[in-house]
Amino acid sequence: MADAFAADAEGEARFRQRRRYLAWRRRLLPIVAVVALLYAWSESIELFDIKPFIAPSPQAVAAVLYDRFGILMANLLPTAIESILGFALGNLAAVVVATVFVWRKTVEEAMFPVAVMINSIPVVAKAPILVLLLGNGMEPKIAVAAIICFFPTLVNMTRGLRDVRPEQLELMRILSARQSEVFLRIRVPNALPYLFSALKIAASTAVIGAIVGEWIGSTQGIGALILQATFNFDSPLLYATIVVGSVFSALFFGVISLVERRMLRWHTAHKE
Amino acid sequence: MAETAVSCEGVSVRFTTERGTVTALDRIDLTIPRGSFLTLLGPSGCGKSTLLRVMADLIAPSGGRVAVFGGTPSSARLKREIGFVFQDPALLPWRTVLDNVTLPLEVGGGKALPGARTPQQLLELVGLNGWETAYPHELSGGMRQRVAIARALVSGPRLLLMDEPFGALDEITRDRLNEELLQVWSSTGTTIVFVTHSIYEAAFLGQQVLLLAARPGRVRELVPVTLPMPRHLGQRETPEFTALAGHLRRVLETC
Ligand SMILES: Nc1ncnc2c1ncn2[C@@H]1O[C@H](COP(=O)(O)OP(=O)(O)OP(=O)(O)O)[C@@H](O)[C@H]1O
Ligand SMILES: [Mg+2]
Repeated sequence: MADAFAADAEGEARFRQRRRYLAWRRRLLPIVAVVALLYAWSESIELFDIKPFIAPSPQAVAAVLYDRFGILMANLLPTAIESILGFALGNLAAVVVATVFVWRKTVEEAMFPVAVMINSIPVVAKAPILVLLLGNGMEPKIAVAAIICFFPTLVNMTRGLRDVRPEQLELMRILSARQSEVFLRIRVPNALPYLFSALKIAASTAVIGAIVGEWIGSTQGIGALILQATFNFDSPLLYATIVVGSVFSALFFGVISLVERRMLRWHTAHKE
Repeated sequence: MAETAVSCEGVSVRFTTERGTVTALDRIDLTIPRGSFLTLLGPSGCGKSTLLRVMADLIAPSGGRVAVFGGTPSSARLKREIGFVFQDPALLPWRTVLDNVTLPLEVGGGKALPGARTPQQLLELVGLNGWETAYPHELSGGMRQRVAIARALVSGPRLLLMDEPFGALDEITRDRLNEELLQVWSSTGTTIVFVTHSIYEAAFLGQQVLLLAARPGRVRELVPVTLPMPRHLGQRETPEFTALAGHLRRVLETC
């Protein structure tokens, strides 16, 4: 079997070179696209003579990002805490409920329609209800973020735990495996790719949830700053706030993707 | 005759679905001696897989009695005396080759029977040493099937049930794995029941070939194979082999 690994220095060098090329390409192409878009934006502001309170130029947004960095960060902090906590709570709850669903189908049959109904209430309608219930602090924002994460993770996780290949279950039966062993060694690893797809969606929606929560009675946070800037016709601040929120959201997504790549080496490796 | 590994007395299996009741097996009588190699041959849908699954305690017969090493199939399964190789290798994609092979030692009470080989020895036996840390998606179909065979052997089973394990492989790989399997069999003393669609594979591997007829699944003929042991691929060119294959083909055509 050793010959299967026979050294082919030239082939390996070519392989590595191609991988480096692809990696750089993946990094550079989006940068090129963003720069082009910023340029088009800046040019159209001048070309159509758009007033600063309608839409700012990218330069004006950049200036606010630099000059008022402290304020922006002070408002990002509560939003970040709310979305991360909401993300953790919502997904944890979804995983627990999915486990119960798979363990007892009856519970799923009874409860899943309820989950669908709650999910179908728009976020902007859930937020005021939660503010009334939970007061004016961080709690209602965390709750909105958690609820918004809950449903996609519940659906995906239930599917991942259940959609196990029948041969794998038969194999476990031949091995006289206990239910808990089937769960931990087959169902859970099988569900991980499904879970991470849901977590990546949740990373963005949790931030949206926290921001929407802040729109209802809050004096700080990205959501509050967005409202404040809108009412003051301070469009450069509005855009700068949105940029900060988006960058945070993208970082959150990036961290989850990184964890996914590390944990699912067996799965992501053959997709690339 | 030597001691019995598996005995079936009047075993019937019926499946009831919306489309009615199918009799997959109809009163099968069969005795498989300990340490022997039996191949199962028959047209598609005649109940070969069903017969293996009854022996492995994956399904209960609707009628008749099955004994494995003198006890019920389920007691044999609980004592880890049964190894099963599926048509699809059924490897766990999140485990490396080595971790797939050791799975039987981790679950269901987890000990190997005395005389079982170590996972390392088994990987060597199936020619996969050096691949311990690879994931299944990095292997070819034949290599995956060999991992599945090593996994089935790791608990030292006394009965190895194989359901068309080489069905998806090319002729050359299949020939090589056939020879390797005979080597495993002669060095472990395991009883093997092997399902195949290939007349040549059935004749080359088995000490006996069981021909099943379809609808309902019945024993058609039990053909002894007189080719001397140990077998080698060259034997397939002998007149004896050609005559045997011809006989099997003629019986199969009437099944
Ligand atoms: N779970 C099941 N439910 C209903 N019918 C089944 C089931 N399993 C098998 N059968 C039926 O039993 C019969 C025998 O099936 P089996 O899988 O044992 O055939 P086979 O000989 O292995 O065929 P093949 O060579 O195609 O694999 C078939 O007619 C099939 O339709
Ligand atoms: Mg079959």
